[in-house]
Amino acid sequence: MTEAVLSNVAVLLSIGRHPVSGRARRGATDAQALEMALALRPRRLTAIHAGPAADADALRAYLGMGLERLTVLVLPDGADPVEALIAHLRRLAPSLVLTGRQAEDGEGSGMLPYLIARGLDAAMVPDVVRVGPADASDATPGKAAIVQALPRGQRRALTVSGRLVATVHPSAPPARASAFGPARRGVIEPVAVPVTVEVTADLFLSECEHRPWRPKPKLMRVKRGGSALDRLRAATESKSGKGQLLVNPTAEAGALAIYDSLVEQGMLP
Amino acid sequence: MSNSPIIRRRVDPRAERAARTVLTGPRPRLLRQPVAPTTINERRRDPRALRTAALVQHLPRPRYDWTRDAASPGTAAPAGVAVTAAPAIPLRVIAEPAYLVLAMLDRPGGEVSEHDRQVIAAARLLADGADAGGGGAVVTVATGSGAALAEAGSDRHVALPEGWADDYVPERRAAAASALMAALSPRHILFPDSPDGADVARRVAAAAGERLFTGVQSLSPDRATRQSSGGSLETGHRPTRLMTVAADAFAPLDGVRHEARPLDLATPMVAGEEVLPRLGGARRLAVDPDALALSEADFILSAGNGVTDWQSFAELGEALGATRAGSRVVCDAGHLPRERQVGASGTVVSARCYLAFGIAGAPQHLQGITGVKHVIAINTDLHAEMIKRADLSIVADAQDVMPALIRLIRERRND
Ligand SMILES: Cc1cc2nc3c(=O)[nH]c(=O)nc-3n(C[C@H](O)[C@H](O)[C@H](O)COP(=O)(O)OP(=O)(O)OC[C@H]3O[C@@H](n4cnc5c(N)ncnc54)[C@H](O)[C@@H]3O)c2cc1C
Repeated sequence: MTEAVLSNVAVLLSIGRHPVSGRARRGATDAQALEMALALRPRRLTAIHAGPAADADALRAYLGMGLERLTVLVLPDGADPVEALIAHLRRLAPSLVLTGRQAEDGEGSGMLPYLIARGLDAAMVPDVVRVGPADASDATPGKAAIVQALPRGQRRALTVSGRLVATVHPSAPPARASAFGPARRGVIEPVAVPVTVEVTADLFLSECEHRPWRPKPKLMRVKRGGSALDRLRAATESKSGKGQLLVNPTAEAGALAIYDSLVEQGMLP
Repeated sequence: MSNSPIIRRRVDPRAERAARTVLTGPRPRLLRQPVAPTTINERRRDPRALRTAALVQHLPRPRYDWTRDAASPGTAAPAGVAVTAAPAIPLRVIAEPAYLVLAMLDRPGGEVSEHDRQVIAAARLLADGADAGGGGAVVTVATGSGAALAEAGSDRHVALPEGWADDYVPERRAAAASALMAALSPRHILFPDSPDGADVARRVAAAAGERLFTGVQSLSPDRATRQSSGGSLETGHRPTRLMTVAADAFAPLDGVRHEARPLDLATPMVAGEEVLPRLGGARRLAVDPDALALSEADFILSAGNGVTDWQSFAELGEALGATRAGSRVVCDAGHLPRERQVGASGTVVSARCYLAFGIAGAPQHLQGITGVKHVIAINTDLHAEMIKRADLSIVADAQDVMPALIRLIRERRND
């Protein structure tokens, strides 16, 4: 039963913030995480949000994606959600926890999935674009096959054993549109945080000072040292004249030079 | 200008006369034989000799190259390379560091990336900081030897196992970093805010139960800032122990030389190898190069107005596994879709290798490839701008070279 690996899935959803208008919306990668979870068709899918109950309206956009109910762990404003989430997830014992990459509002350090993975003693995989059960040829049961996005559009395949927390990369399949009817019909279920969990305010954040972000000037590569002429050259001249030049070689000789150069650059094996 | 001007001996009659004068007798006498001139005026430059040494071409017009080494007339210095010997950069040694700042580098594929250099520069800010008293040392931690990091500003180097350079072992790297944190008790640990670096940093922070200050944009010994709230706020705090450094926020150092002395520490490796990794079987997947966005592509095959044989061009793209692109003329003519246009009104690419067939190299096109590391150009015109820009230029017909290159690749692949 390879399907059993991914039969119990939890998705952590946050409230996003539109980068221009600043309005509350569904988080972009969080919605993609929910999309990924819905596409897996797990036997049990739990969507969880931790935060003040007053914000719950912005969460309806997730319900509009075809979710029937969404659990809200009610926390006071400014409280750290990690402990409450870990305690709640321990009870659910999901085999896969999907989250967005980074919150669109607040600190946005991207630490939450790592802390949860640590709390659940699960493996942590960042930047996932596809999750599925490992194919049957891989004899070990309980493994998940994962595709991870790398810079420059590259992809990496991995297998992970055991429980898994994964963050979703923006190049994962796009989230489906949110429909109004299901969004109205869906149930938002407030859950009180278990009393065993001590909900603490985040002291570090209150220590920080905040001010509006101002774009910084772009860093220019200035060459130091050398004579004034050298520096002027480095600043103004494009790299030219350094190259190797073959004038009217035969087609074969030209092709060979290109081939060798590509091999040297590591572009061809 | 040259540093060692040519000295021409000038006849100085007074000095010669003084040298021949014997003052022992009742009156001064002059010797017949002139004594070898004792002093030469070292200060005197000979502008004529300098000019002849710099002359590279007589006809049709005289051309001078003033960067040439005057001491060896006749040997043309490679153009673009300064001839004056670079003054030796003094070595800075921090023998007894007051505290340590760790820089955990990515070094993807064993190469020191630009981001790695920036992280070292940020670490130097913390190590040399005036307010904190300075006198700290930067310890770089990366796979491979530290020799290449001395000029980036590293005082000490801890080498991680060679095998970790190519494998995906974030759990081992994180364990090694945690072990180093315990063994060296550094004041700060900096990571690059790259996908892999930030991943390791978060693992370390989660394991240590410490706060991670991610994507640091500015840094001084008593204040670090980062972007928060989706980029709308700047958050400042005094530098925490664990931080990741945003890309392109700090200028890499140059003109410095540190010792990058290897530290023989087994702890990180042992701790790393002890971890039982849960992630396994990592392998790169083949991606369709033409499905990549042009700005993301690493290897681009580009066509200009000089290409007429589109069948070969398509086959070549497939044989090379390169992303296909073109100049504006080509996209206007409909040979390639618009989103495949490179240049000012197209896409600015950042590929590592750019193979250009029949592109003239208009300024609008060259703007699009300023970030490319290695350019290969094939053009029938020796004086095309593209030929000047390229690292390897071939003056030949694109329609001949493309099939020859396809044949060569297939041949090499078969044996
Ligand atoms: C506002 C503005 C924006 C622009 N933006 C862009 C842009 O974003 N990108 C862009 O590319 N252009 C742009 N252009 C156009 C640009 O100025 C040039 O016109 C264009 O780049 C020229 O393309 P090309 O080099 O392919 O063609 P050409 O200039 O026609 O050059 C063809 C080259 O191929 C060589 N050649 C001919 N036959 C052969 C052969 N058989 N084998 C090998 N070589 C051969 C020729 O010697 C010549 O050097 C812009 C122009 C304007 C005004």
